[in-house]
Amino acid sequence: MIELRLHKDVYDGAAVDAAMKQFGRYARLTARDEASHWVVQIEATTPARARTVAGELGNAALGGSAKARPAVQP
Amino acid sequence: MASLPSIPGELASADVASGVVRLTVREELYPLDAVFAAAFTFIKDCWVVVDRADAAHWAIALTPKAAGASAELLEQWVGGFANELLACAYRHRLAKDHRATVEAVTAAALAGALGPPSLDELEDFDFSNEAFEDPLGIAMSWEDKYGKKAKAGDAAPAGSTDDDDGGAP
Repeated sequence: MIELRLHKDVYDGAAVDAAMKQFGRYARLTARDEASHWVVQIEATTPARARTVAGELGNAALGGSAKARPAVQP
Repeated sequence: MASLPSIPGELASADVASGVVRLTVREELYPLDAVFAAAFTFIKDCWVVVDRADAAHWAIALTPKAAGASAELLEQWVGGFANELLACAYRHRLAKDHRATVEAVTAAALAGALGPPSLDELEDFDFSNEAFEDPLGIAMSWEDKYGKKAKAGDAAPAGSTDDDDGGAP
């Protein structure tokens, strides 16, 4: 099992949810809400698969969070 | 975690066994938007996780997707990411500083794209406004500056014509 910890200052909650929906069919995903982090536990048939799902889920959450950011303010 | 020869140990470290390299940068120098922009260019080849190291620093973990990353390869990845991050931070600063200028130019371009004004709009336009102030009198028309100047005694008598040279018939 892999635990992915995504800081709330960086990752948007909706983006993490969307990424979990996207990759939920490739592994068993469990989310936990901590004070400073979104924690996603990933269980897959093999460690390599869990690692790949964790990495791609992290990338998807990062991309979604970047899109959710407001435009640059002067 | 091992330090990398070309990058100070307090900034970057590599875990060769796990194939992960970590970079720590100051938030004051590298805003989150710049970190996102740099990370975007690497997500095709790496798994990127951004975390907060402390109140003033971001911690970025890069894991190349290709298996079997060596220390040299990890160093190349983190060096490339650091360069990209610097460029993104600079672009972010430029965009922030010149936002008003970009908006003004864009607005002018859009206004021009609307097409020429209608006759009604021209009729309502106030042409009496001066184009700009010229307190020193620098702006001068070509005719005023280089045109023929009439002499005081050259005033043509009433009834004379241009071909009236006063000669014999």
